[in-house]
Amino acid sequence: MTAEKTIVSCFERKRHGWKLTTIALSIALTLTIFLTTLIGSTGPIGPSSGEKIPLQAVLDILFGKGGNWPENFRAIIMDIRLPRILLGVLVGCSLAVSGATMQGVFKNPMADPYIIGLSAGAAVGASVSTFLPLQQDIGIYALPLLAFIGATLTVFLVYQIAKSRGRARVETLLLSGIAVGSFLAAVTSFLLYLSGQQFRFLFFWLLGGLWMASWKVVLIVSPIVSIGTVLLQLFARDLNAMLMGEEQAIHLGIDVETVKKILLALTSLVAGTAVAFSGIIGFVGLIIPHIMRLRVGPNHSVLLPASTLAGGLFLTSVDTVARTIIAPTEIPVGVLTALCGAPFFAYLLRKGRRVWL
Amino acid sequence: MRLRLEVRGVSFSYESTPILEDATFSVEQCEFLGVMGPNGSGKTTLLRCMCRVLEPRVGTILIDGRDLRRFSRSEVAKSVGVVPQSPVVDAAFTVFEIVLMGRTSRIGRFEAESAKDLEAVEEAMKMTDTLHLSDRTFDELSGGERQRVIIARALAQEPKVLLLDEPTVHLDIKYQLEVLELIEKLNKQKGIVIVAVFHDLNLASQHCDRIILLHNGRIEAIGPPEQVLTPESIRRIYGVDAVVKRHPVTNALHVAPYLPPKRNSLNSRATVHLVCGGGSGSVLMKLLLESSMKVTAGVLNVLDTDYETARSLDLSVVGEIPFSMITEESFAANVALIKHSDIVVLTDFPVGPGNLRNLQAVEEALEKGRPVVVIESTPVQHRDFTGGIAAEYMARLRKSAVVVRSAKECLQAIMNLQAVVKGH
Repeated sequence: MTAEKTIVSCFERKRHGWKLTTIALSIALTLTIFLTTLIGSTGPIGPSSGEKIPLQAVLDILFGKGGNWPENFRAIIMDIRLPRILLGVLVGCSLAVSGATMQGVFKNPMADPYIIGLSAGAAVGASVSTFLPLQQDIGIYALPLLAFIGATLTVFLVYQIAKSRGRARVETLLLSGIAVGSFLAAVTSFLLYLSGQQFRFLFFWLLGGLWMASWKVVLIVSPIVSIGTVLLQLFARDLNAMLMGEEQAIHLGIDVETVKKILLALTSLVAGTAVAFSGIIGFVGLIIPHIMRLRVGPNHSVLLPASTLAGGLFLTSVDTVARTIIAPTEIPVGVLTALCGAPFFAYLLRKGRRVWL
Repeated sequence: MRLRLEVRGVSFSYESTPILEDATFSVEQCEFLGVMGPNGSGKTTLLRCMCRVLEPRVGTILIDGRDLRRFSRSEVAKSVGVVPQSPVVDAAFTVFEIVLMGRTSRIGRFEAESAKDLEAVEEAMKMTDTLHLSDRTFDELSGGERQRVIIARALAQEPKVLLLDEPTVHLDIKYQLEVLELIEKLNKQKGIVIVAVFHDLNLASQHCDRIILLHNGRIEAIGPPEQVLTPESIRRIYGVDAVVKRHPVTNALHVAPYLPPKRNSLNSRATVHLVCGGGSGSVLMKLLLESSMKVTAGVLNVLDTDYETARSLDLSVVGEIPFSMITEESFAANVALIKHSDIVVLTDFPVGPGNLRNLQAVEEALEKGRPVVVIESTPVQHRDFTGGIAAEYMARLRKSAVVVRSAKECLQAIMNLQAVVKGH
């Protein structure tokens, strides 16, 4: 009887802990969204040389109180800052959740959303878009669309190359991803070389940034990312089993090949959408799952939601720095994530704790 | 009895190398089946086919009469639990989380873990005595504990059949016995069919109802241990000789394998006749054979350890009815063997009225000028049950024989003597 209580209470305690973590991270994310709307080159917080937007104005505009504020304040907060912050959250969420998933599928601490050629494919797609004459017609959506197509096609290609006799072993997938990735990187370099006056635009996209943000983009990205992320959470138990190795996952009743295909498709969808609009932002998908694993353990039932929320929080915070620190220009956020991500990663490794698993 | 598992004509090959050929057998409800065979004989492949990690090239596997190929992956997991060979868990999962994974196939994708799932986990952990480890991570556990946790995980699947691939390998003896006891408990109390690969012939024969012997991917024999594990089958399949007996305590079959002595009979250096008994000559027999000697022995009572060793090594030996005095007839036979030998060895066996005449035979040999080596690791006083007669014999023998203290020294002495003999 007492033993029964321990197991049930052990599980309840665990589940309670997971719930608390998720709630705490959600609150932190909401607060971050609110705080970052206050930060910008025109204030209330920020390196403004001229007139600053007063705090009261932001509060009134955010909470729809009206007030008699200039129209450009409203435009800065609602049309420029907020969509950008939300896109940052969405992109951060997708990269982190895809990274956590890929690390689980590949049982590999170095896996990230780009591991099987997603970024390389997106880059080729983006580069090709600058050569198309119809760019003016479709407007700014040609690049994201082609980047997305490039990304998903590449993942499909990598999977097909790795597949033999109906299954693609993760080791083979990794190698096939490297092969295809380096080939496509060469293609991208060549296209960049040819790109002429489009070079700067393309180069900025490759570095990763959120300047494409608008409500339209947020409306396109948010349903795809939310649905994809929710679907990924449904595979938490499968990912746990797959961490035991493919054979043991089969023993536990997982149809490993099917699950792997579904997970690859879902991550390409989610991360591919993020990359299409924000370029190649590195390190978020690698270190956020790592840090969360240190905090909450390897169980994907909590690791996936925790990584999702932390990823959103992290990227939008870093982007706030990126868009304000050398205002009026901005640093590509991908540069900044790498600048702070890489040393932090090295620190984690040096700390001697088991970073992975 | 009802059949739980049927394997019909299953063959499997990697590329064009056949690993398993035409395996056919069935397992009844509540049976404990051992799978044995040398490395590369297809044991693990057979197990992997039975949990459908591998698809057999031809043949079918039926569980409760249903073709395994028509099971979905999760249906297989509900029927068949697997304990892989020395499993590793890289991730820092707790024991509880690992055992809970056994429920994966029983929890729907849109469902949370139910009370029933937790009950099954708890039951499995109780059975395997792992409840107290619940919050520990896998790498903190001992080998035996790890094995029990993985068994608990398989149990949480509530399987009808449990497949184990060398569940005791890499474990200390105590853990080996514990794990086997656990498996047997699952078999007897829960009626789970056990199919387990074993390397250790004795562990297998102690616990299995039946044993399958695999050799080069084919089933060589299947049946109860005493029918399957014979010295002949062990020699044929493993290429070693073995003594098969009943264990004095458990009455289970006891198999003692040994490498056959490398005989070089074509070029025998000398013939050595052993006068021994009570196991005092067994080691020497093997040593001498390996040194290319021809060995004979006598007089030994049938059932005597030395007699059995001599028989299993195929030596010429003079036997006597158990617990009887040496008769005139066997004495003469012994003398005849001594006559054909180059060197006589007398070991330090206990001497009683029954075998006293063996000393007489040695003395006669010595008188006829035959070289004699006497092994004396135990003084004659401690093994003289003739009221001093044996001691007198020994005192006389020691004067002209070579006296040594161990089998190895004896071999050395024989080598030296042999040089002298050959010199003549």
